[in-house]
Amino acid sequence: MTATLVDMGAHDRRADKDADFSAYMSARQAALYRTAYLLAGDHATAEDLLQNAFAKLYLSWDKVRDREALDGYVRRIMVNENNSLWRRAWKRKEHSTDTMPETGTVDTYDDGMGGALWSFVQTLPPKQRSVIVLRYYEQLSEAEIADTLGISVGTVKSQASRALAGLRARAPQSLNPHGLHPHESGDDAR
Amino acid sequence: MNHTPLEDQVHDALHRTADPLERHPFTVGDVRTRARRIQRRRAAVAGAAVAAMVAVAVPIGLSTVGPAQRSEVPPATQPPSPTVTGTVIIDPRSAAVIDSVGVPLVDVDSPSLITPERTIQLPKAYETVTPYRDGWMAVANDEGSYTLEVLDADLELVDQVGPTGGVVVSPDGSRVAWSEYDDVQWRVKIAEVAGGPISTYLEFPPSPREHRVAPIGFVSDVEVAATQNHGDGTTSTFIADGDTPTALPGPISARSASPVAGVVAAFISSDIEGSCSAVIDGTSPSGAVAWETCDYALDHFSPDGQHVVGTVASGGEYGSPTLAVLDATSGEVVVDFELVLPRRQVGGVNETNILWEDDDHLVARVWPGGEDSVIVRLGLDGTVQRLGIESAGESGLTMAEVR
Repeated sequence: MTATLVDMGAHDRRADKDADFSAYMSARQAALYRTAYLLAGDHATAEDLLQNAFAKLYLSWDKVRDREALDGYVRRIMVNENNSLWRRAWKRKEHSTDTMPETGTVDTYDDGMGGALWSFVQTLPPKQRSVIVLRYYEQLSEAEIADTLGISVGTVKSQASRALAGLRARAPQSLNPHGLHPHESGDDAR
Repeated sequence: MNHTPLEDQVHDALHRTADPLERHPFTVGDVRTRARRIQRRRAAVAGAAVAAMVAVAVPIGLSTVGPAQRSEVPPATQPPSPTVTGTVIIDPRSAAVIDSVGVPLVDVDSPSLITPERTIQLPKAYETVTPYRDGWMAVANDEGSYTLEVLDADLELVDQVGPTGGVVVSPDGSRVAWSEYDDVQWRVKIAEVAGGPISTYLEFPPSPREHRVAPIGFVSDVEVAATQNHGDGTTSTFIADGDTPTALPGPISARSASPVAGVVAAFISSDIEGSCSAVIDGTSPSGAVAWETCDYALDHFSPDGQHVVGTVASGGEYGSPTLAVLDATSGEVVVDFELVLPRRQVGGVNETNILWEDDDHLVARVWPGGEDSVIVRLGLDGTVQRLGIESAGESGLTMAEVR
């Protein structure tokens, strides 16, 4: 009888865990997938990043006390995994081409500038890109980004600054307020 | 935030790219399946990590089953290895298949020891096993508790020595060193493989058993380097200074030693940004750094001490995506291997399951995507071969030794 009760208890705990986890995953999967896509730049890698992150979260589910921190946990796993994948790709650089990475979805109201900027974002080094995605897509604070990436706020600032400088250098002049047309504002370019 | 126009446009561009994305969502079942795979990989890597601390070798001429591949110090006139340019792709699907490799393997699920000469059934799936006296010295893993056993020629238990951090064998195969714990303190001991008295080489101050001491390798014919973890996440590397264990400046965590060069390869720093390794003098308490790198994690000196393996530290769940062979004296890359993976699959080279077969060939366990690992033989001349032996179960084949 005791064994049966123990087994039932374990079964119930598993069911509770799966229900809790399923509720979280259903609520947040679409949003986190978009972040994964922006980090990775292609659908297959984004799917892999997200599934891996969810799997690791599932394994640690019972240890996570602060349910408010779940998104941050998933983001951190995805960023670290993506940086690791990037290192792998860097090692493969001898086989790379000069063509831009796939530009993903460009919706109908985009005048093309958004697609161009997205292409430039994809050329950023992985840490700078992570900072850009977390700051301008997720709209996290610098402190939240620092926590997610496990780096200092100062490093977040410097990475963001370098990323924007890199984007300015690559972006069309119409996006560059310091470009050849000083009278032309960024707003004009929209 | 006080955004510039460019920042606003980055914000807009990211939203225009990501917001319309739609896809078929994962189910909890999908995630559970991936989680089980991660757990299996973690278990495999954890086992291999322990094996890495347990360096054993088959002495030349002492075993009818050993591979007898350990090199002597090469003559000065030995010609250099041929130079390979560019990255060598490891693709197990297209690699030539061979029926044996020159290092001993353990088929975990049989369990058995596979050598080029024959296969021996083992009483259990030992982490490592090496000839000793008339029988064997082996390390058993009982759910993470590692015990040193001495076996006779028929693999019957002669002596259960107790908790250990591993075993190493001198380059000429004449001596064996191991660590053991006696409920008070850790010691590193040395004995002649052929028999004779056992001497205590390093005697550590009293400490909990969890502050495990692991012999890393011989740094000369008669000297051994060992590591001890301090229970706070740090590890030091010790050599003997007289009768006293002396820590090399650190903390550093040695991974491999070369008795020919008198050096150790060690992690010298590690944080979220990555880790750095160095080749360090292993014969003097000053621990002079010969060279260091933050591009590779260093491990596995070649038998002649001329090369050392570099992998991508923290390469991921499956191991390193690349394996580089570096010049041990300069850090220059000699050959760079990269594992090719099917689209949408992940894998890697199991960093700790690597053995030098001889001065010019490595044997490594790799995960080429999917559920199964394979054993590959890699040559400094750029050759890649795959071992055609099937394992008895999903645990696969592991290195019986780490040199």
